[in-house]
Amino acid sequence: MTRRISRETLIKWAPLLVLLALVIFFTALNPTFFSLRNFARIAIAASPALMVAVGVTFIIVMGSIDLSMEGTVSLTAVSFAFIFAQLGGSLAGLGWIAIPLTLALGGLIGLLNGLVHVKLKIPSFMASLAMGFVGTGAAILLTGGDIVKVSDAAFRGLLTVRWLGFPLMVYVAAFFLLVGWFIQTHTTLGRNFYAVGGGEDLAHASGLNVTRVRVTGFALAGVFYAIAAVLVVARIGQAESVTGANFMFVSITSVVVGGVALWGGIGGVWNALVGVLIVNVIDNGMVVIGLPDFLQAGVLGLLVILAVVLSTDRKMLSFVK
Amino acid sequence: MDIQRLKPHLPWITLVVLVAIVGINDPGFLRPSNLLGIAGDIVPLFIMALGLTFAIYIGGIDLSAQSMANMVTVIASVYLASMGAWVAVLCVMAGFLLGMLSGYVTTRLFVPSFISTLAVGGIAFSIAQWLSGQRALNMDAAQRNETFGWMIGRTWGVPNELLIAAVLVAICLFIERRTTLGRALKAVGAGELAAAASGLNVARYKILAFAISGALAAIAGLLFAVKLSGGAPTIANGFLLPAIVAVLVGGTPLTGGVGGVANTVVGTLIVAVIRASMLYFEIDATRQQIVFGIVLIVAIALTIDRAKLRTVK
Repeated sequence: MTRRISRETLIKWAPLLVLLALVIFFTALNPTFFSLRNFARIAIAASPALMVAVGVTFIIVMGSIDLSMEGTVSLTAVSFAFIFAQLGGSLAGLGWIAIPLTLALGGLIGLLNGLVHVKLKIPSFMASLAMGFVGTGAAILLTGGDIVKVSDAAFRGLLTVRWLGFPLMVYVAAFFLLVGWFIQTHTTLGRNFYAVGGGEDLAHASGLNVTRVRVTGFALAGVFYAIAAVLVVARIGQAESVTGANFMFVSITSVVVGGVALWGGIGGVWNALVGVLIVNVIDNGMVVIGLPDFLQAGVLGLLVILAVVLSTDRKMLSFVK
Repeated sequence: MDIQRLKPHLPWITLVVLVAIVGINDPGFLRPSNLLGIAGDIVPLFIMALGLTFAIYIGGIDLSAQSMANMVTVIASVYLASMGAWVAVLCVMAGFLLGMLSGYVTTRLFVPSFISTLAVGGIAFSIAQWLSGQRALNMDAAQRNETFGWMIGRTWGVPNELLIAAVLVAICLFIERRTTLGRALKAVGAGELAAAASGLNVARYKILAFAISGALAAIAGLLFAVKLSGGAPTIANGFLLPAIVAVLVGGTPLTGGVGGVANTVVGTLIVAVIRASMLYFEIDATRQQIVFGIVLIVAIALTIDRAKLRTVK
């Protein structure tokens, strides 16, 4: 019994300890790492990734997985850029309407994703992977391979206007992180995610409409991907069909490294935050201490394996596919 | 006619119907030289799909195939000058070992295969970027022709790629139908717990399946590098989706256990015909990905064995 408790405590706090250790490690190697300027840089890079990670956290807590984020982010980013331009191309005018429309579109894509997964009874990793391909395809179709620029000064203010050293987009991401936390802990929906993830049969037997919870979860994730898309466009000032590239690997890694168990039921948005910070501190730190950035994907790959291994109670499992 | 009895025949019926539709609209499509050309072009993709078949046959998935092929195009381009023909051995070994790594992580460390192969894909991508210096590489044309020129020529009008594909199909069919390994893979795919209970070393066979998948992805990468006379860390991107589609529309379901190598041959031809027909019907190339994504969903929904999935996660 004591072993189980210590194991759970360890798993709960290990990600945070890893994060602290990494910060100390990189600071020791190069003191400029520990500066407000550099932290702002990490925060800017982490903000969109955090939104994707929070979105997929809900899905992973349910014991499913969503691999559609690349397509969803690309499609919503491109759509946002087009709608924004159509509405006058300025936040000062009607342009702001593009933001709620984009979030709604993200929710719709997520909804579709969830319906394909639940109604056609296709495992979520494959349903979402396929839908992700469709999303990227749709983004290519919309842009014809071109880049859509968004250069409205008011909108780019998300990146350029700073408050206490951090750009506004960091605060936007922090706000939606709190929204995610609120949904997770203070709403029935949030509790239902954990019920489904903890044991789907049991949740079903207790009268929970598991289908609806799953579909809602995917729709919610879609909304968060759309927020990520808006933040990415604000950061780089353009949208194209590859805007979402790389988000899948990075966000799944972050969430898992942050301590959300792939089996469902364990972890939450704070784990996503710690995970995203770990991944981005490693990224940034490798550059700061002068390591080549091509190692990044490999390091993340090893990290995700390690994280899953550590978080898996092997006595509970007979086999995995 | 019972739908369940019709199911195993759906792939080839689909293929015949598709060929007929395109053939009626464009008689030029059915010219033997055109058909051979289309078949020859799809061979690198086919070899990757062949490898994926093994991973899917045991109920897993290999999402690293594309990164593996990318990495091999780089390895082949970098070491062709110093190693000559031996570079082929290096490439296949690299794919085999990384595949084994995926298999080891999946079976011994209990990481689901879609995560473990995604992670190993990340490692392969890093290796590719490191070796290539993040640039596109070119092979020395003369040396390529001397060493691997035989891969891409024509023999009696038949593209040599097709002959390579035929040899690989023969080997894979032999493994699947005439060896203990093949029977063991079928047992694992049909019911892993039962296979383990009857004394099969399930982990070893699963590791081997992933290794074969890696090795074939490597061969696909090598052939692709020879065709393009160069390599880059992202050059084969776009292979993964059609390769998975090829396996699934061929009739090997995501749940494993049925289907197999012969099905993937049919599945790849379906992909090839869909691709070619998009050209004939002047469907924009930018729509291909949407079409394949939707075909993938339909194919999974039709083939998946729901009796094996108590809850669909």
